[in-house]
Amino acid sequence: MDTFIQLTIDGLTLGSVYALIALGYTLVYGVLKLLNFAHGDVFMVGSFIGFGVLQLLGGTSNPIVPIWALIVLITLAAIVGCSVLGVAIERFAYRPLRDAPRIAPLISALGVSFFLENSMQLLFGAQPRNYDTFSLANGALYLRGIDIGQVRLPLLRIITIVVAFVMMFLLWFLVTRTRSGKAMRATSFDREAAAMMGINIDRVIVFTFVLGSALAGVAGVMFGLRVPTNVTIGFVAGLKGFTAAVIGGIGSIPGAMAGGLILGFAESYTQGYVSTKWSDLFVFLILIAFMIFRPQGLFGRADIRKV
Amino acid sequence: MKKLIGLALAVLVASFAASTASAGPKVAASSQAVSCNGTLKIAIVTPLTGGAGFLGAEQASWAKYAVATLAKPLGLKIQLVLGDTPVEQGAAIAQTLAQKYVGDSKVMGVIGPATSGGAVASTKTYQQAGIAQISPSATSTQLTKAAPTLTGTPSFFRVVPGDYVQGPTDAHYMIDKLKAKKVVIIDFQEPYSVGLANAAQAVLKKAGVSVTRLSAPNTTTDYSAYVTKVPSDADIVFFPTQKPPDAQTFAQQLLEQGKKAKVFGSDGSNDSTAFKVPGSYVSNFAPDITGIAADKAIIAGWKKANPGKSVGSFGPPAYGATQVMMNAIKRACTAGHGSIKTKRDVLRQVKRVRINNWILGGTFRWSTKSNDPLNAKFYIFQIQPNGSYKLVG
Repeated sequence: MDTFIQLTIDGLTLGSVYALIALGYTLVYGVLKLLNFAHGDVFMVGSFIGFGVLQLLGGTSNPIVPIWALIVLITLAAIVGCSVLGVAIERFAYRPLRDAPRIAPLISALGVSFFLENSMQLLFGAQPRNYDTFSLANGALYLRGIDIGQVRLPLLRIITIVVAFVMMFLLWFLVTRTRSGKAMRATSFDREAAAMMGINIDRVIVFTFVLGSALAGVAGVMFGLRVPTNVTIGFVAGLKGFTAAVIGGIGSIPGAMAGGLILGFAESYTQGYVSTKWSDLFVFLILIAFMIFRPQGLFGRADIRKV
Repeated sequence: MKKLIGLALAVLVASFAASTASAGPKVAASSQAVSCNGTLKIAIVTPLTGGAGFLGAEQASWAKYAVATLAKPLGLKIQLVLGDTPVEQGAAIAQTLAQKYVGDSKVMGVIGPATSGGAVASTKTYQQAGIAQISPSATSTQLTKAAPTLTGTPSFFRVVPGDYVQGPTDAHYMIDKLKAKKVVIIDFQEPYSVGLANAAQAVLKKAGVSVTRLSAPNTTTDYSAYVTKVPSDADIVFFPTQKPPDAQTFAQQLLEQGKKAKVFGSDGSNDSTAFKVPGSYVSNFAPDITGIAADKAIIAGWKKANPGKSVGSFGPPAYGATQVMMNAIKRACTAGHGSIKTKRDVLRQVKRVRINNWILGGTFRWSTKSNDPLNAKFYIFQIQPNGSYKLVG
């Protein structure tokens, strides 16, 4: 039972990060029908921004602000930095190709992905960066927490899970309960009709990129707080986020949340009960199974076209 | 949407295939004589980018320093050519680079590949072209296995001992000194860690130690689920990674889950700036070169050329490998009266090189039984509360 609880905690932590990444894919796809393969690299940049700001604030061995402020500040920095990056990507890599055949922005997205990865490597080098949160308050974030039976839910995992769910709730609220969200939904439903109704499509698209990239920034920091980051993490993280978005139904916000969590649990339970060796294979088999048997995903709608 | 996702997956697969594609095993060795008065090239093949980029950067800096300081006294003009083999792109890229260097008449020898996977993929190509390879870090046992099995490649050399030394050394230390009864071994699905894990596992099992074997993809970043599988009464987790921060993460996650097992890393995790959880162990092929009196001037010179960098475990063997290669080139030049007829002339000289005041301590000589260094051994360190590495075995 303890193993099951521990694996559930692992899956929930992992799934929360996947869900945040998947939301970025799904938001952009929902509005633009574009698979933004540079999204994983925005996540990577977010984790680097967090690391950089952490060093500016004295690092984990000698922080100049309290721990809670440290985490809030690096997260805010990543949100701002990634939002600006997202806007730049949209403006220079996707907007000129908005009316081009679908393959063009897809190739552009891959190009942006390589550009970001290699630029970061040129600027900051290839060596992994460790936030070293274990040094904060003598490892308190790892060694203190809530005990569930014999299993401990450490503070750092609580922070990751709570932050992810708060971000998901805020996004849901923004999309379903605000004017901006209504404009996003209208644009997603029918871009031309929304434009004719007076919605500024460019502004909606930019706003969508800001939201998606901000979530990637948060995911990057939550990731970096627990494990070392490097310039190549974006590819696998992006692939997992994309898989989560497809499982949930790409374009569906609840779907991305569910897909991320399903993927996190699947990965964790496979590693725990089946084989550590084949966990990635199992995860991507789920993707293939969905592509064959339910291509619209769990929460997506079947794409019916008039012929 | 299904169409678009299918298209996206096809583009991803195509781009991945294109990035890792390699040419067929065509080998065209140049037989044109090269004058030793001109500039000759030595290639270094190592992961300069990617997750193990720190390793390649360190090796390249030491190889450059060896060329800068040792070529002129030997009467040679050497240009160091950098070949990048990111570990994430697999071993195929090492084969692509091999084709390139075989076709370059000025490349007299290769330092590397740094990783066992890259070495396994490319040694046949170098062998057919008669190019000597001296790896500063590829430790897979089979690479230099001598007769009668003959699985080793005659043109492949390494200046560090193989896994057949490191694995058993680590395992014996766990059995004899740490009195381990239960050990978890993790490999990373690439030749370096698999070879090392197998070598240690064989010794541990023979001694009656309970062994649990786990396997993680080389791209793993979060080891929580692996830590969950570590039994609460396990004494040691043998973690032969090439990424020291991953050893740090694993050790922290063991503490997070309240597991008592200590992490035992290999030479790949020997980095006191990145792996510093007290009580953990690492092994290495040199005691600590900063403690070798004969190396003081070399270290000071390297630090001057690389300000702000600290001496790691991967760089000094790259210096040594480059030193051996340049000595072999010098010998070939002397034998050829100022010119090298074929690259095979350099290869023939490698085994004859002997270096006094070897950077890793003592005198360097090759074993007569294989292309490994003679009497090389591994050392065990324990990480102290202040993060320093203390030699314990």
